[in-house]
Amino acid sequence: MNAYAELHCLSAFSFQRGASSARELFARAKAMGYSALAITDECTLAGIVRAWEAARETGIALIVGSEVRLTDGLKLVLLVTNQDTYSALCHLITVARRAAPKGEYKLSREQLVDLPPGLLALWIPASTDAVADGQWLRSIFPDRCWLAIELHRGPDDAIRLRDLCRLAEHVGMPAVAAGDVHMHVRRRRALQDTLTAIRHHTTVAEAGAHLFANGERHLRTRAALSAIYPPELLAESIRIAQRCTFALESLRYTYPRELVPDDHTPTTWLRELAETGARWRWPDGVPERARALIEHELALIAELGYESYFLTVHDIVRFARSRGILCQGRGSAANSAVCFALGVTEIDPARMNMLFERFLSRERNEPPDIDIDFEHERREEVLQYVFDRYGRERAALTAVASCYRGRSAIRDVAKALGLPPDQVNALASTMDRWSADAPMPDYLRERGFDPDSAVMRRVVRLTNELIDFPRHLSQHPGGFVISEYPLHTLVPVENAAMADRTVIQWDKDDLDALGLLKVDCLALGMLTAIRKTLDTLRRSGRRDLSVATIPADDAATYEMIGRADTVGVFQIESRAQMAMLPRLKPRTFYDLVIEVAIVRPGPIQGDMVHPYLRRRKGLEPIDYPPDLKDVFERTLGVPLFQEQVMRIAMQAAGYSPGEADELRRSMAAWKRRGGLEPHRERLIDGMLARGYPQAFADKLFEQIKGFGSYGFPESHAASFALLTYASCWLKCHEPAAFACAVINSMPMGFYTPDQILQDARRHGIGVRPVDVRHSDWDCTLEFAHGDITTQPAIRLGLCLIKGFAHDVAQRIQTARDAQAFIDIADLCRRANIDRRHQDLLADADALKGLVGHRHRARWAIRGVEAQLPLFATAPSSIEPRVMLPAPSVGENLRADYALTGTTLGPHPLALLRGELTAQRCQSSAQLARVEPGRRVRMAGLVRLRQRPQTTSGVTFLTLEDEYGMVNVVIWRDLAQRQRRVLLESQLLVVDGSIEREDGVQHLIAKRLQNLSPLLRGLDSVSRDFR
Amino acid sequence: MRWACLLLPHLAIDGVLRRHPSPDATLVLVTGPAHRRVLHALNDKARAAGLRAGMSLAAAQALTPHFACIEYDAEAVVRHRQLLASWAYRFSSQVSTDLSDAIGPDSIGPDAIVLEVGQSLNLFGPWPRFEARLREELTALGFRHRIVAAPNPQAARVLANAHDGLAVDDNRLDTALGNLPVECAGLDADIATALVRMGLRRLRQVFALPRETLTRRFPPTLLPHLDVLRGRQVQPLDTYRPPDKFDTRIEFDHEIESSTALLFPLRRLTADLAAFLAGRDGGVQRFVLRLEHESDACTEVPVGLLAPERAAAMLFELARGRLEQASIAAPVVGLRLVARELPSFVPVGRDLFDARPQQAVPWEQLRERLRARLGDDAATGLSLQADHRPERAWRNDAAPRKAATLAAGPRPGWLLQRPIPWRGSPPRILAGPERVETGWWDGGDVRRDYYVVESASGQRAWVYCACGEVGPYMLHGWFA
Repeated sequence: MNAYAELHCLSAFSFQRGASSARELFARAKAMGYSALAITDECTLAGIVRAWEAARETGIALIVGSEVRLTDGLKLVLLVTNQDTYSALCHLITVARRAAPKGEYKLSREQLVDLPPGLLALWIPASTDAVADGQWLRSIFPDRCWLAIELHRGPDDAIRLRDLCRLAEHVGMPAVAAGDVHMHVRRRRALQDTLTAIRHHTTVAEAGAHLFANGERHLRTRAALSAIYPPELLAESIRIAQRCTFALESLRYTYPRELVPDDHTPTTWLRELAETGARWRWPDGVPERARALIEHELALIAELGYESYFLTVHDIVRFARSRGILCQGRGSAANSAVCFALGVTEIDPARMNMLFERFLSRERNEPPDIDIDFEHERREEVLQYVFDRYGRERAALTAVASCYRGRSAIRDVAKALGLPPDQVNALASTMDRWSADAPMPDYLRERGFDPDSAVMRRVVRLTNELIDFPRHLSQHPGGFVISEYPLHTLVPVENAAMADRTVIQWDKDDLDALGLLKVDCLALGMLTAIRKTLDTLRRSGRRDLSVATIPADDAATYEMIGRADTVGVFQIESRAQMAMLPRLKPRTFYDLVIEVAIVRPGPIQGDMVHPYLRRRKGLEPIDYPPDLKDVFERTLGVPLFQEQVMRIAMQAAGYSPGEADELRRSMAAWKRRGGLEPHRERLIDGMLARGYPQAFADKLFEQIKGFGSYGFPESHAASFALLTYASCWLKCHEPAAFACAVINSMPMGFYTPDQILQDARRHGIGVRPVDVRHSDWDCTLEFAHGDITTQPAIRLGLCLIKGFAHDVAQRIQTARDAQAFIDIADLCRRANIDRRHQDLLADADALKGLVGHRHRARWAIRGVEAQLPLFATAPSSIEPRVMLPAPSVGENLRADYALTGTTLGPHPLALLRGELTAQRCQSSAQLARVEPGRRVRMAGLVRLRQRPQTTSGVTFLTLEDEYGMVNVVIWRDLAQRQRRVLLESQLLVVDGSIEREDGVQHLIAKRLQNLSPLLRGLDSVSRDFR
Repeated sequence: MRWACLLLPHLAIDGVLRRHPSPDATLVLVTGPAHRRVLHALNDKARAAGLRAGMSLAAAQALTPHFACIEYDAEAVVRHRQLLASWAYRFSSQVSTDLSDAIGPDSIGPDAIVLEVGQSLNLFGPWPRFEARLREELTALGFRHRIVAAPNPQAARVLANAHDGLAVDDNRLDTALGNLPVECAGLDADIATALVRMGLRRLRQVFALPRETLTRRFPPTLLPHLDVLRGRQVQPLDTYRPPDKFDTRIEFDHEIESSTALLFPLRRLTADLAAFLAGRDGGVQRFVLRLEHESDACTEVPVGLLAPERAAAMLFELARGRLEQASIAAPVVGLRLVARELPSFVPVGRDLFDARPQQAVPWEQLRERLRARLGDDAATGLSLQADHRPERAWRNDAAPRKAATLAAGPRPGWLLQRPIPWRGSPPRILAGPERVETGWWDGGDVRRDYYVVESASGQRAWVYCACGEVGPYMLHGWFA
């Protein structure tokens, strides 16, 4: 049989064209005995790193290339032979992509003229008599252009072969066989047709002209190829493949150099910065342990050559500091002594037993990964700084390959199969939005589809195939790549959807695989809230604190946390977290680190939570092999963190650090790709060989598997816990300032401003209404008689009025600062308020101080006439006084909720309490005194509905009444029986029984009843199934 | 009490229900673009299931999957409104549907018909009896309704928003209106909302306010509207006119027994029709010739066209074709032409220097003549379809349309309806295989290798066999 190398093959990264992944293609190429496989996605290299990985796994040589179609229709495949031509291809793709809107490209003949001599071209002629095209190409690519003959069992392949060979001879270029491959095997043709229909926004039945007539565009057997191609055409493919020796791993990436002063090397400069930092961190002298750590780390960094990376991170953090933008680094490399000295993190590594090897590994030449969180409102400044500092040529955001998930896949498939829109929507609703699971027959039946019908079988099969296919490239929220040389020598760069952003074609896994520097600049709302709290406290003269100087180990703070009194704080405010807090009762910072990590799908699915709690309470012996003490001691013998798994692999099963990191990656991906089984054998054998009992080894492996992709790294948990502690301390000691800052930093966290305010009021903080005479845009603090020693009250800001514009609020502030408002005419004139905002102010009751109740305010504001400046001082015309009824409490309540989402009047349930009592409903305050197991009835506003994936169909509800919140547990069968009531109710009555353990109370529902009619019109907001 | 308002709160759904096979099913009418389907109207059963008008379809399906969706048909609603207007026209010469949209064109507000009843009381009255009759007939027609009578149509209309069966006269009008909630008063939604938000919930409170304070605060439409309701101003309405139709009859003074003798009167009638059509600038797509006999029932000869026409000669040609085909049982004593479908018509542009030879028949006319002579199904169009399966690449189509064509290989002029096994000696292969492997989506998946072959007798044929196999062959067509 003839040897063959496929030189024209698309992967799934030719979006909606290629119907197989690189993995599948390479596996098939290997099975078919191909000598090499080119991946030539259309004007993109987005899939090339995955192809390279697949090539490494199979041992089939990868040829890097790209198919392009010029604006005049000329179609080529460009193939890379060496580093130079690779860069030239990146540059060409960059130019083509940047000249067109996102997702498209534009190439003309001129752009092909100056390509380096190593770049090979295959010409795919439009017709058998395109002589002029061929001659032009021959002149542009002398001696390196081939005519690709692609035969797919068309009407008359024999004639076509003859004509194309003649054409090649005529224009004087050699011919070669190629496959125009779109899929790895023939049976993908259904998916390929479907993708084609999706690409053309039509149905497969209508797409006729765009579909291929047959399934020949797959990696055919060499026997089949030998049957249709003369041997010399196949042999030519091997000759071309042999010229393409470029390997992706030979890419050389250079860190930016400008951060180092002329008289320094990166090594000496990093040392200098670290020393300066250490003196700033430890003014009384650097402790021995920290000194040793710094030396160790600097040596490792120098050995691996990562100085520039740390310098880059330091530079970004330094910039943020200089602008007063609060930030914090995350990741084990961030939680290092050097980073502590550089100010990247506030975690003193000497106090934490971190695993520095995780990201800095001697074995793998792979860069460390540091995520930096910034205040969410100001991260853009940081991004723009990076773009400015390094220039658009050298800095770009990383891409995210958006993949088909269950819902999007079934939607597109159903549309392509021509199902009507209503059915497409109904089908989509049978799928979990983000899950990658196949459609479930039961769910289909529930929606009235017959899963056994031919159409549904097609839908299910194709959806299954389509899930996880890349769909388009979008930008990563904050992952930067920075390079000394223009990025387009390394990777193509495209336009992002947002103006002024450029994005490389690779995602973070691609960068990891190739060892490129990446800094994640992420946005974090809590940093904004903390900075705002600290600012207000400083400005008011009440306290002068920074994150670093917030007193540590504060008993009152931990006591508050233990009560689950944590509405609004970072990370431990969710329903699930609040249910855990009274059981765990954190008392130290490390307890908080555990708390942050434990309420996550990983530990829950790995069944680690309960053993940990039992051991903590002394209900179960703490046992672990004594020589694993330093791994297990902190978590009582239960592995809770990724780092622990790696340590166990190293210490108990003899993994090297590099192998342990491999294990971490497999853990993250095993659900999708498998690949944990080889580790099973190694881990268990390794442990047995080192004398650990079989049972211990088995259990550990199961726990690791349960961890899956959700295992949380200790290094991240530690950084988060720091913010958790800071926010808790502020909530405990400065509740008014904290609540105020949280609201001013919205949207963030778990709760609405209303819930934050209700919580503040329950803690005795005064809350004052929106009032044009006092309110700024933001919520502000008002001290009683200027006394800064007592807790201030919160004055609601104009920002709470839905739809109010910032600049109008500013005009009001400015006009008011000049002179207090006399009446609303004065207000409207001096602050230049348009009709819409006038109405908003009246509706929000913000004019009460000037004209009285809402009805009066609306009447009055409507009477304000637009006045010409000439008459600015003339008094408003006198008109008869009219009598208007005052709004009722209920009306005010409704208006409050509709306009500002909160009310300072009575809680809605306080208004309904009489009626509820008549219906034998108890309040949450009464519930707290009921003995466990007793039947109760309780009514509340539904604030949250949640059905976590980890709880097998249990729905959690949070009900709120005037005294607080109650967690309700609804078992699956009740949820199904009373589905409508559950979904529709705003005001819900639950009959059930109380369960209480360790101070955690749940109401187990037995029956639900919808009382929403009582609330008619009330705009109470429930956040459903996030 | 000179006007009555018939409020039709469920016109859309009632219109569907009156001819739905199972009106007891849970039914909703759906409208809106594909990505945002909303319920436009629903029946009682659907309402009982918790569905509401204006709800998104997705939300409705989340509530209950068990309901039938019917596409909301705005034209059907118009038709039903017209139907009811013409029905009401029997009771009054002043009927109007103007106040149907008093709630706003986009809202799911009720339809309404107002009619002047003061002058009809002599015929149908007194009012209670008149009202009872209206109710009875509306119920029989299948439309739910509310009826209110008042001194002016606008007042009747707004009072119907809150009442059923109310009849007020001049001296009680102000009180009745005063008790009306502001939201029901037919005001622009934003005016009504603004009033309510000032604590002004009933019209009485608004009536009590000094006029100049209202003028200052509200759009100038408010006061005139209130004045119209209270009868202080009159706002004329567009009244309903029954639709036009063409219906002309010629009576013969002797019995005609040959269709040839009918041609002359037919020519007149078609000419009249053409003139009538020209007068209203329309065309006709379908009309009926009714041949009247002395004792037997009429013979009806329907004449249908593919597109609206109005040229007298053509109408005559067509009618004649149909008439000659028709079998007429008895002598004819009268001829009547009834045309109800009178759509608008776009005449063909005629070139001033038309070079067509006089005797050539225009294509459209030839087509119509063939259809008239041979039957509607005898002549059909042929349209291409972009499908790689040869048997689906073209099809008969009454109204051929342009479609994207495929770049396919040689295709025989005569494609067999159904492929048949190749008989006789193995053919000589001239070209191929051309592989066709597609059609999985509709259950008609084919996997074939096609060959152009020559039979022993020298005929060129198109045959196929299963992919990758060599024979047996199926014959699928002949090349000319």
